[in-house]
Amino acid sequence: MSKNKSGLWSFFSSVQLAIVLLSLIAFFALIGTIVPQREAAVELAGRISPGLFSFLQKMQLFDLYHSIWFFLLLGLLSVNLLICSLDRFPLAWRRFRSQAEPQKADAVKDLPAENTFQSALNIQKVADAAANLLKKRYHNVAQANEENSVFLSAQKGRFSFFGVYIVHLSILVLIAGAIIGSVFGTEGHINITEGETAGSFNLRSNNQSLPLPFSVRCDKFIVELYENGAPKNFQSDLTFIKDDKVVHSGKLRVNHPIEVEGFRFYQSSYGVSPEGKATLTLLRDGGRRDVINVAKGYAFDLPGKEGTFQVLRVEENLMKMGPAIKVSVRSNKGEVTFWVFQQLDKIKEANPGITEQIPMFNPSLFRPYTFTLLGLEEKYYTGLQVTRDPGTLVVGAAAVLLILGLLLMLFSYPRQVWVKIDRQQDKALISVGGRSHRNKAGLERELQHLLAEIKDRLENSK
Amino acid sequence: MINTTILSWVTFIYFAAFVFYLFRMVLGREFWGKIATSTALIGLIAQSVALVIRWKTSYDLGMGHAPLSNFYESLIFFAWTIVFLYLLMEQRLKNRSIGVFVIPVAFLIMAYASIAPGISNRIDPLIPALQSNWLTSHVLTCFMGYAAFTVAFALGIMFFVKKMSAADKNKSPAFFRLLPAESMLDELMYQSATLGFVFLTMGIITGSVWAHYAWGSYWSWDPKETWSLITWLIYALMLHARNVRGWRGKRMALMTIFGFGCVLFTYLGVNLLPSLHSYMN
Ligand code: HEM
Repeated sequence: MSKNKSGLWSFFSSVQLAIVLLSLIAFFALIGTIVPQREAAVELAGRISPGLFSFLQKMQLFDLYHSIWFFLLLGLLSVNLLICSLDRFPLAWRRFRSQAEPQKADAVKDLPAENTFQSALNIQKVADAAANLLKKRYHNVAQANEENSVFLSAQKGRFSFFGVYIVHLSILVLIAGAIIGSVFGTEGHINITEGETAGSFNLRSNNQSLPLPFSVRCDKFIVELYENGAPKNFQSDLTFIKDDKVVHSGKLRVNHPIEVEGFRFYQSSYGVSPEGKATLTLLRDGGRRDVINVAKGYAFDLPGKEGTFQVLRVEENLMKMGPAIKVSVRSNKGEVTFWVFQQLDKIKEANPGITEQIPMFNPSLFRPYTFTLLGLEEKYYTGLQVTRDPGTLVVGAAAVLLILGLLLMLFSYPRQVWVKIDRQQDKALISVGGRSHRNKAGLERELQHLLAEIKDRLENSK
Repeated sequence: MINTTILSWVTFIYFAAFVFYLFRMVLGREFWGKIATSTALIGLIAQSVALVIRWKTSYDLGMGHAPLSNFYESLIFFAWTIVFLYLLMEQRLKNRSIGVFVIPVAFLIMAYASIAPGISNRIDPLIPALQSNWLTSHVLTCFMGYAAFTVAFALGIMFFVKKMSAADKNKSPAFFRLLPAESMLDELMYQSATLGFVFLTMGIITGSVWAHYAWGSYWSWDPKETWSLITWLIYALMLHARNVRGWRGKRMALMTIFGFGCVLFTYLGVNLLPSLHSYMN
């Protein structure tokens, strides 16, 4: 590395800075799991003084992971990584290009005794056997013959020099993808009742409504339950409509999102819609019987024009007495309100005289009509999570790079090996040495293995 | 259920293996080491059988999922990976003295799974968001990572024990002599931590992919996610401190212990914080 690099360059190429930054990011992440964030922070507002709260809010402490501080740290880490990699890459490149030189006397000097052995075979035969073995196991095998010795060199795992660079590149790509997502992405939620259509969704960050460039209709919602009542599966049939044309339609299941024009829809929840319909019969003294479908808020005139009838509430299970609706009838005599139960007969059986004691439970309170509830049509709403994150693909690419780089580092390491064969009277002395910048222990094991194999071959060729 | 019966037996088998490893260390006779290894291996096989039975039972009950879906199952699998990884290591290194520090961790986890209050060992149906193959790969890789970090932690503890015994050399019983040399412990700590780091990386990535499908965004700063990131950063820091700053020995041993603390908090402590992930509620 050259000496005339500026102070700024050496600051940003230092690994000490990397260690400080990694610690700081970990520390910030930790703070964010203790201090309530985003929606949860609202609750804290009530417990601390308003001045302190607004100060902390200004310091972006309640949205730490999207705060200027966090971006600053990520930015510094990126610069650190970039400069550090640029600083070191020339060296890695030189190592990558460097061949194991055949004549490298110091590579096989001072070897421990277990790295050498003697053979009774002649030196040329030994050299051939060793060269053949090296050619099978290693790359770039080279040979140098001298008067009383043969040098063999070979190498392997050169590409794993790049493992670290790929890992570091992937971190840069990851940060880029995360920033793209957090600047250009949106996230929100909609609930759509079966049969209805929505054209906008509520943002997660501030609960404001944001229009979609198309509308979504929920045609049908299905939920399947386990025996214990927990949901086993739920799904919605959705139709996406733009300019009166269907652009997409399909089933949305949990874990199987649908993507339309960059917006991803996830099945996230469901519930019973408060806008369920009820079927009522109206029995007028004297015989006329009408069946009508009503929903909360519906109002219409009674068949005989005695007054206006309105549905105030629809309950699936009122006070554990089953489905009921609350209705009001307004006439020139004033307004009466009462509940109409579906299982009135059962209720009366269990509590004789209840309709006399509690007039509100009497479905014949407005004469000359008697109301009966035939049933509720349960209507579900489907809860959809809506996101748009243009950074996802970039982050995905980063993840692939990261794994690739790590595997390259884990399963391989660059090493060079040398085998020297010396003539000793009529015998040959074989020495095996090697060099690796990483994984010295692994290399030592490999050399022992190589040595044993050479021995084996020589013995078999006798 | 038969699988939980086998699993409670496995708990005792691991305890026995620990006792045999201890005998070997104290008496200095390899005979006990061989018995210890066989015992641990029998435990591992029995545990594998129990897991397969549990898997099959879940299909028979019409739920059909890998035994990796609730807190109990995760503890059992955690212990399994620790023993598996350890036996692999023992086989490769031809050194049994690490067992006396690693096997008790597996035993404690098994014991905790069976006796701690509020841990249900029933096979539960999966709510829809958990019905994903990504969940299986996520849990698998995360626990491989946790197990490797646990081994690194045990090695870190061994390092300090070895260091203490080196302080007064004249009275060093077999136990201390049989511990690997400090330099070897250092190398092994580093290798285990690297392995753990790679698995944790995969665990976080598979978790993100799953989150991407299940609840709409690959990362939502949920406390469990955040803590796994913190753990990941700590081990990244550790690898850099060693490879570039040349940290060795004591500092590395401290880092393995500190890192393991983060792992435990990610796994258990986070349940004290509100989370999407909590197995507990
Ligand atoms: C989250 C961010 C980072 C991750 C995940 C990461 C990951 C890694 C990994 C896995 C290694 C290999 C360690 C080993 O051989 O066992 C490594 C090495 C290294 N990292 Fe990072 N790193 C990060 C950030 C940085 C930064 C910001 C710098 C800036 C100085 C840096 C500088 C280095 C250097 C100099 C090496 C050694 C390379 C070599 O052996 O030639 N890293 N990094």
